[in-house]
Amino acid sequence: MALSPETLEMLRREPDADDLDLSWLENLTGKEGMRAVPGRRGLTIDEINQGSYGEIPEVTTNRTGRIRGATHRPDSPRYSNLWAEKNASWSAAAGLLYEEAVARQWSSAVDVPWAELPEIGEDLELAMSQLMTFLTQVEFIAGDVPGQYAANISPEFMEVGLFLATQIMDEARHLDVFRKRALANGVGLLQAGNGAIGLMQSQDFTEMTATLHLVGEGFVQSLFRMGEMFAQTEVDKKMFRLAAQDESRHVAFGVMHMKHVLEQEPERREEIHSYLDRQEGLLGQGSTQAGLTGGGPTGESMAILLGGGKDEIRLEEGYRKLSAIRKRQITEYMNRLEVVGLGDRRQRMAPQMRAVLEASMTNGNGHKNGSH
Amino acid sequence: MADEQKTAEASAEGVVVDTSELGSVRETERAQGDPLFDPTNLQVPPLDFRWSRVPTERPPRPKIGPEGFLLRQADYGSYGWAPDHWPYENDTPRGSFPARDRGLPAPYTIYDKYQVWAENSADLYEQAVRERWSAANDIRWGTLEPLSETRELALDQIYTWVSEQAYNSSQWIMRWLKEISYGYHEVKLYLATQTFDHARHTEVFRKRALANGGNLGVETPGFLNRTVAASFKFTELVVYINIIRSTILLGLMETIQGLDLAQADRQIAELTARDLRRHISYGSEHLRYFLQMHPEKRSEVENWLLRGEVMVAADFGRDGALRTAMILALGDTVTEGKEKRRQMLRLMMKRYLEALTAGTVYRRVEKMAPELSELGEETERHEAEATAAAP
Repeated sequence: MALSPETLEMLRREPDADDLDLSWLENLTGKEGMRAVPGRRGLTIDEINQGSYGEIPEVTTNRTGRIRGATHRPDSPRYSNLWAEKNASWSAAAGLLYEEAVARQWSSAVDVPWAELPEIGEDLELAMSQLMTFLTQVEFIAGDVPGQYAANISPEFMEVGLFLATQIMDEARHLDVFRKRALANGVGLLQAGNGAIGLMQSQDFTEMTATLHLVGEGFVQSLFRMGEMFAQTEVDKKMFRLAAQDESRHVAFGVMHMKHVLEQEPERREEIHSYLDRQEGLLGQGSTQAGLTGGGPTGESMAILLGGGKDEIRLEEGYRKLSAIRKRQITEYMNRLEVVGLGDRRQRMAPQMRAVLEASMTNGNGHKNGSH
Repeated sequence: MADEQKTAEASAEGVVVDTSELGSVRETERAQGDPLFDPTNLQVPPLDFRWSRVPTERPPRPKIGPEGFLLRQADYGSYGWAPDHWPYENDTPRGSFPARDRGLPAPYTIYDKYQVWAENSADLYEQAVRERWSAANDIRWGTLEPLSETRELALDQIYTWVSEQAYNSSQWIMRWLKEISYGYHEVKLYLATQTFDHARHTEVFRKRALANGGNLGVETPGFLNRTVAASFKFTELVVYINIIRSTILLGLMETIQGLDLAQADRQIAELTARDLRRHISYGSEHLRYFLQMHPEKRSEVENWLLRGEVMVAADFGRDGALRTAMILALGDTVTEGKEKRRQMLRLMMKRYLEALTAGTVYRRVEKMAPELSELGEETERHEAEATAAAP
């Protein structure tokens, strides 16, 4: 839609109009005259991305802050930090996941029934508080990490930038809700660990997606989805259900980004495997995701919660269930990798992971114990 | 997220229980070739439980009120005390018992409270969560009716301008999160809400520009955008985004709310204004705290304000499209539009000066960038006249 010559002429003749700049009205690049109509889920990004406004370029020449579809100004400044290539960050689900995130926001203050939180016994409450300490520690790292790439996302690929903002909001709520849970029932925060800072070392968006979205968040999402197993109260169950829903979006973003990259740039396959090698623990450095065994404050607290106490019999049962959870985490992780086109990861996974997976299968400690 | 989990759970791979101090609940010795915990022969690994005896504060059980369980309520006693300097370089949560082996130091650069703090951060975080809204569903898009092509394109130009600025704010606040250490979690949580707000503003104004027969307009000259991107200090960023940009946009939103436009337009303006008031509130409170703790840095603030004002003046001065769009959108005639635009500029200036006053920056007009000082003086004169005329 551009202003008709007749209307322009009328404007020029208006009293007081001699200093008006009307040239832009003749030079707008968007010509469609858009009239987007809300769909079943409201006026979503997909509904607005009609015609040229929905065309996502493979490589953009837009190096300024211009919103996709706006008319370029020749004197606007460039940003060398903006990535020109779609492949660098694109995830086909970004717009959808953004809308989903907005629609499914929740409040840790009122959507968790805190007033109904019962006393659960000292051992169980201590264990829950320890698990909450771990989650409080690591959750916002998953906000800091994507945030460090936000300034690289060109407005031409704005859906990615918008999605990252929702992830950061979600992670804030997770830090908040887990912190509140630790402080809600008389114990408070307990022993901190050495954290998840290693995730901040990524040097590339796809590396970040591999290590954060696929490995880190994937494992956490599986854990939250099995929250019913270690939750002691309805409050805890609700909290894990809501958090799992958020993590699912983060994992979905990562899956779709990785799928896009592997389809468009298959030559990056080994590079991506190398990120997974590192994050799974194949490089033998320090402790990594492959440390899927049973000890440590988090493992102990989970075993207590899963077994229902810390006497020897309950703990053994707790560890058996924990082993089943670990198996499930690895299985779901491998399934996701298959979806993105990395099915061969099953043959290349870290031996520690394979040990957990095969042991569970051999022993049948998972399903047979009724832990799923 | 994965790293701590791994460490905690990897301890069974070769655990050395350190009994010397509580700070080292356990350490992992991970010599190559150590036997892994073997799940085929499930044994309960060596147990510790010292994590359950660390001397952290035991908070009272909260009384849950109608607003639910709020962060300020949860952060009781020592949990609520944010120190002037945060001593831990990793993601140790405030109030927890720090590990002796804290792993990799993080790339955070902000460890001093005055650099980020605002006393209202926790409350603004909860308020933002309460006041969340959806552009897709909470706007009555069906109320939009065709406008004259002149007015529609003028509004679309204004909305393009807002959308671009919102995206710029979102990008750079997200980018700064990795600078802020974990001890000031209220600030990080609040900033997460602000970046989420900016994302929503980016898309809602883009949607509106494309929803009623028009299209996107011309990009901005980008002086303020570029200045935001180039901020060297967090407080500098806050001055540009939360004080300067947000007060300009608030003046615009309050003006749009008073126009004879569709309910959808007025709703968008109203909800955006509500968000912007939170952003300004954080900005003013941060500025107040920053200056209270470091009064000698007042000249830095004045320099940032001057720089931001100059860039805003450059944007407005060069943006013929925006000026024309404002005139055409606000008035039925060009003459009326010019008068109403001037009123709007005064409102923007008024909101700016109010935000500065709340941030303990007074008499700004005297030091204002020359390009804006006339508007500043005019605004003060109008306000004085209005006060005098009030019953």
